Amino acid sequence: MKQKTAIAAGASLAALVGLAAIAQQQDGAESVEGLTVLGKAVTAEEIATGRDIYAETCASCHGAKLEGQPDWKRRLDNGRMPAPPHDETGHTWHHADKDLFRITKLGVGGVVPGYESDMPGFGGTLSDAEIAAVLVYIKSTWPERQRTFQAQVTANSEGGS
Amino acid sequence: MMGSEMRIHSTDISRRGMLGAGLAGVGLLVLPRRLRAAGPGEAPMTALTFDGDALLAAGPGLYRREDAGGNWTASPAPSGILALATHPERPGRIVAGLAEGGVALSEDGGRSWEARNVALAEGEVAAVSVAAGNSDMIYAAVRGDGLWKSEDAGRTWAFAMDRPWLDEAERDVLALASVDLASGMGGIWIYAGTETGLTRVPDCFCRWQDVQPGNAMDALAAGDAPPSTAPLPPGEPVQALASAPAPPGTLYAALPSGIWASGDGGVIWARMLSGAASAVAVHPDDEMRVVAAVDGALQQSRDGGVTWSVLAAA
Repeated sequence: MKQKTAIAAGASLAALVGLAAIAQQQDGAESVEGLTVLGKAVTAEEIATGRDIYAETCASCHGAKLEGQPDWKRRLDNGRMPAPPHDETGHTWHHADKDLFRITKLGVGGVVPGYESDMPGFGGTLSDAEIAAVLVYIKSTWPERQRTFQAQVTANSEGGS
Repeated sequence: MMGSEMRIHSTDISRRGMLGAGLAGVGLLVLPRRLRAAGPGEAPMTALTFDGDALLAAGPGLYRREDAGGNWTASPAPSGILALATHPERPGRIVAGLAEGGVALSEDGGRSWEARNVALAEGEVAAVSVAAGNSDMIYAAVRGDGLWKSEDAGRTWAFAMDRPWLDEAERDVLALASVDLASGMGGIWIYAGTETGLTRVPDCFCRWQDVQPGNAMDALAAGDAPPSTAPLPPGEPVQALASAPAPPGTLYAALPSGIWASGDGGVIWARMLSGAASAVAVHPDDEMRVVAAVDGALQQSRDGGVTWSVLAAA
């Protein structure tokens, strides 16, 4: 009984923490505290949308749990690199928002001219808002350290985010 | 190679002489006696580095000279040193990459050495570098394998990145330099000299890429003409790289065609000395003071490579 009470209390606390992390946007939509993409606040709904788009469009290469392809630091036979993880074990959180957006929309060649990659640009299949939603979903999975680091990289990038 | 750590002191020389053959298998050998009294210059130098004001030169052995006018002294060192690296904020720490594989580290200016190979891949280590912002972060390039990093001064290693892909093939890294220029990804750059030219990777190890002017992407996005560049001669191996701690855009490179210098992080290069160059080093406090091994002789410059003079071998 006591254990159940403790679990219930813990769940309530978690719910409160979760609620505290959600602020009210001026237009009525709920924004998630401490998480932005391209300089804009994001909502829990956008994260959910991004999760769905990621599962449908990105997970086949980058992994359902954002874990990347096996042995992703070793080059494939075609000379290209495997799809890296997008979780905290990868390097995605070292890139500014605008670079992540550009890579997703244009392919890696969008930030590194001439770079050959198996990743296509998604500008023809996803809208800018959908790309942003995917990015915010990925960002929402990062631990605090990686999220803070990436926010600083974004702030330092030329022109900000 | 799951190597064991082993310490060898200069006082162990006679014993090590008897055990030399046995130690060869783990990469630490006594310096041949015939070379102890000599200075560098008997054979092409494979690596040069400054440890404060002292200059270290590796070839068939390792030699140290405390200042510009001093004598060379032979240091007991692992055999087959292909690369040396130091850090200005950690005097006395010398990192060596070895021909027979593995990395050795000295904390006393080269007087004693430890193998630092735990979890490091087998294979010739042709290049080593110490991160500009962290003297415990060491990078090593393993031939036929890739780039490895250690965050604890070589005690443990982790694979960081495959070899660079240039001209439709993976290329071995012959030289490394941690260059304290912002990569735009929250870190700095690691420059690599390969069999076929220069490349670089951010220290988050996302991808190898060509050296570009800082505003190249803006020009690309705007459709403008790309900024002017003067790269190193295409296709030439880059045998050694040296980066001045300040200003960090000052780079020197040793190529078969000579010693080349750049003042802008490797976008524009100029040849400062002709000849087959095998090694180069820049003083940690004076970016104009350069020492290079060219055509089998040591040359020094105190004006950034504009003028050179032969450095006495002994």
